[in-house]
Amino acid sequence: MEKLGRQIEIGPTDNTSNERTPRNRLHLIPDNARGSFAPYAPQNYGINPAEADMTRIAPGRPRGEGDAIKVTGQIMDEFGRPIRNSLIEIWNANKYGRYTHIEDHSGLQLDPNFLGVGRTLSDNDGNYEFWTIRPGEYLARPDIGRWRPKHIHLSIRGGSSRIITQMYFAGDPHNDTDPMRILMGDNFDKNLGKEYETDGEDFDCGYQFDIVIGGKNPTFFENN
Amino acid sequence: MTQSSGKSNRLIATNEDTLGPYYPISLCDNDSMDLTEIRSGIINKPLGEKIIINGCIKDINGNLANGILLEFWQPNAAGIYRRPDTETHHKLDPWFTGYARHRTKDGNFTLTTIKPGVDVDLETPRAPNITLTIFSDGIMRIVTQLFFEGEKANDTDPLLLSINEELRDRLMIKPDGEDENGIKKYKIEIIMAGDNETPFFDDLLS
Ligand SMILES: [Fe+3]
Repeated sequence: MEKLGRQIEIGPTDNTSNERTPRNRLHLIPDNARGSFAPYAPQNYGINPAEADMTRIAPGRPRGEGDAIKVTGQIMDEFGRPIRNSLIEIWNANKYGRYTHIEDHSGLQLDPNFLGVGRTLSDNDGNYEFWTIRPGEYLARPDIGRWRPKHIHLSIRGGSSRIITQMYFAGDPHNDTDPMRILMGDNFDKNLGKEYETDGEDFDCGYQFDIVIGGKNPTFFENN
Repeated sequence: MTQSSGKSNRLIATNEDTLGPYYPISLCDNDSMDLTEIRSGIINKPLGEKIIINGCIKDINGNLANGILLEFWQPNAAGIYRRPDTETHHKLDPWFTGYARHRTKDGNFTLTTIKPGVDVDLETPRAPNITLTIFSDGIMRIVTQLFFEGEKANDTDPLLLSINEELRDRLMIKPDGEDENGIKKYKIEIIMAGDNETPFFDDLLS
């Protein structure tokens, strides 16, 4: 009998999830085919360091509205080994919960000084840092009154390591009812930024967000 | 530092999330969907046969799946992947990365590439294939592998042999004529869910 992989569950109350979740179980990858299943991305050169400052559209421009925050963390594999020189892509809504994305049709207020898109690279120890404006929560599904709590989207790509994830904020009242959060169960605290003070720096506060790429995202070659 | 689990020294992984609907389009501005040119205007080209693959990704209703992020990954014309363990391989092609990424607005894509080859030195040679990873709203990433219809090596490929014939056919990239320069064109339709669903493969070591 053929061994089968995971059955992906349809996410709660989400139309896109219903439309796009495979109904059949995933098929296990035979051992002798596995080496081909871990796309190894070339290294990223030429990222402009200014792209890590998402509080303004470009150097020298005014900051967007809201609280300027600093996000720092380390990216590592399940064994605690740093994932170096990885590409970190960041996107978040402005203070009013509006994305600058052309497909955000919410009609919420735009901020003329906030782009909401950034990039940076992790260093030799896997550490990264970026600055942004604390995002607002937003009503993702007006038809069913479903809010998304404050969150920052992050995509990380380094070698064969991949994760797309979100950093959440402790104490957001919408955390409790967020379908993404519910799927995470007790593991939700892994996706909370840990707040710290930034005395003497030009930020309202900092958040430490360490990212472990593992589980369904093994860092295949790095682990060998 | 993230806490390790009680059972092993492994750290607990950060939870994966969906791509969401607002992945910034501009982040893909420097990604190329033409693997036959590392940069434009350079005389060096990868070895092998240049081909064009037109494809689309559909949802359970047969509608094109908009706003998704696609990653393509393939070996060179000699069947060698560019990875840390092949850095000194004598058949590695310096002008071929094998990696492409693309954010499709409407669910369609076009990949210009080199026809992947077969590494005949392997104990279990793989048929020519391209790995496709899909990041989407509503679902964490899913992965499949695409093959070329009619290849002899398909008959002995370990991945194709692990699924039934009907499913195998859904992974086949099919010939679709030539363009005005005589470059062979191919086509493929990926169905994320429902009738004729494309088989997806588990990237979890489980
Ligand atoms: Fe969001």
